[in-house]
Amino acid sequence: MIRRFFRHIKEGFFGVGRHLGMALSSASAVTITLIIIGIFIVITLNLYEVTKSIEGSISIVATIKDEYDSDHLAIQERIDKIDGVESIIYHTKDQEFDYYLDTMGDDSLREFYESYRDDNPFKAAFIIYTDDGNKIESIKTRLDDMIEIDSTSDGGSNTYVLVGVLDHVRVVGGILVVALIILAMYLIYNTIKITIASRSDEIWIMRNVGAKNGYVRAPFLVEGIIIGFLGSVIPMLAAVFGYIYLYQSVSGRLFGAFVLIEPHPFVLYVAGLLLAIGIVVGFVGSYISVFKYLRLKR
Amino acid sequence: MIEIENVFKKYKNGTHALNGISLEVKDEEFIYIVGSTGSGKSTLIKILNGEEIPTSGKAIVNGIDVGKLRFSKVPLYRRNVGVVFQDYRLLPRKTVFENVAYALEVVDTPKKELRSRVREVLKLVDIADKSNAFPDELSGGQQQRVAIARAIANRPKILIADEPTGNLDPKKSDEIIKLFEKINQEEKTTILIVTHDTEIVKNHPKRMIMIESGHIVADLNKGASI
Repeated sequence: MIRRFFRHIKEGFFGVGRHLGMALSSASAVTITLIIIGIFIVITLNLYEVTKSIEGSISIVATIKDEYDSDHLAIQERIDKIDGVESIIYHTKDQEFDYYLDTMGDDSLREFYESYRDDNPFKAAFIIYTDDGNKIESIKTRLDDMIEIDSTSDGGSNTYVLVGVLDHVRVVGGILVVALIILAMYLIYNTIKITIASRSDEIWIMRNVGAKNGYVRAPFLVEGIIIGFLGSVIPMLAAVFGYIYLYQSVSGRLFGAFVLIEPHPFVLYVAGLLLAIGIVVGFVGSYISVFKYLRLKR
Repeated sequence: MIEIENVFKKYKNGTHALNGISLEVKDEEFIYIVGSTGSGKSTLIKILNGEEIPTSGKAIVNGIDVGKLRFSKVPLYRRNVGVVFQDYRLLPRKTVFENVAYALEVVDTPKKELRSRVREVLKLVDIADKSNAFPDELSGGQQQRVAIARAIANRPKILIADEPTGNLDPKKSDEIIKLFEKINQEEKTTILIVTHDTEIVKNHPKRMIMIESGHIVADLNKGASI
């Protein structure tokens, strides 16, 4: 069993060697694909972090006049009926005070403000979330019209522009990646097709002496996996060293505003993911080829 | 035991290769199948080998209905049937020993057993002295011996040879047929030789089945070779 396993691996390497040019060209297609996927993953995950950090501002904070606070349940019900409102969280005066204190990095500052708790200048507030950025203006207008509401504030429309741009980047990048994966698979598919053709004598003999189908197929699948692996080496190194270099050269902040994800262990996850994609692409490409060209014979 | 019952084979392109063939071959029998090109001989081999499925009728080999075999079972069945072709089909980059060993490797024969069996069959086909030679260093007759060694390495119950002497001169052909007779006796293998070489048939008389346009037109010397 183990002997057979190594035999398949060996045959797979022979296959790569036999058509080195073809194998290398498919591997370089995998390389290019994976480099772009790698860049895309790094950007997306960093953007995701950014989005998450600004998510807090995609909400309207409406403070309640102190005299109406006792009535907040009824007010909340009315706000809930406004078109576009997804969820509402009620914060008491104390909670608002705590929230403010939490934004203080310095413990001594925190202690200083803590002494004002009895004189809490904050008002109770609703934090209103919406599922549609376009409705934020109309929700705000409605809130401003309510006499119970003292003031409203939101993160501003820039937030939505940014989120929209991020979405577009994700869609375009996604399409690009899918197209490249298909291209890489196609090249591997063709490489394996040629290997199969050049080994037709051997395949014929194997079948003739009663080799099982899995036995006949295995070396070609191994070959596809090897190509996928070869193609993922450079992208993995590029992801690890490229990202560390980028992180260090901008001191962890891009354009001074976007905080980048710490390289460790982030780059290892990205590298692992690229390796996995490379191997899967190689396997699927050869699998399709093997099933198409080795199946229809008894 | 081979039992072919009223087998018809029509290919997708419309060719009627076999038109109702019925045939019974007993264990350890040695028979010739004779017919001109396009008579349906090759189709008959393919049906026995499991490569083709009869359009109608049955081919039963050692109790197995070959046409009904599932894809995944065909390889296991095929270990019972050795096939030798006119053009030898040896792997050019492997030595004689490796070529024969290959047939045993793909069916997971343990290494020790593999070596002794390869030596055994190479001795049987009388080519042991060329174990380390490559196929292109051998004559046609020698290459055919290697191909035969490979076909019998797995101890198939049945050995089918498709024009095994087609590329050989009469003297070499005679030797190859003698080798088949030896295998028939020593390994107890049922032997089917497809040929149109009348010299062989005359010099080594056995049961002979003549096929023409997918029909059996004659079955001579029945029982002669058992």
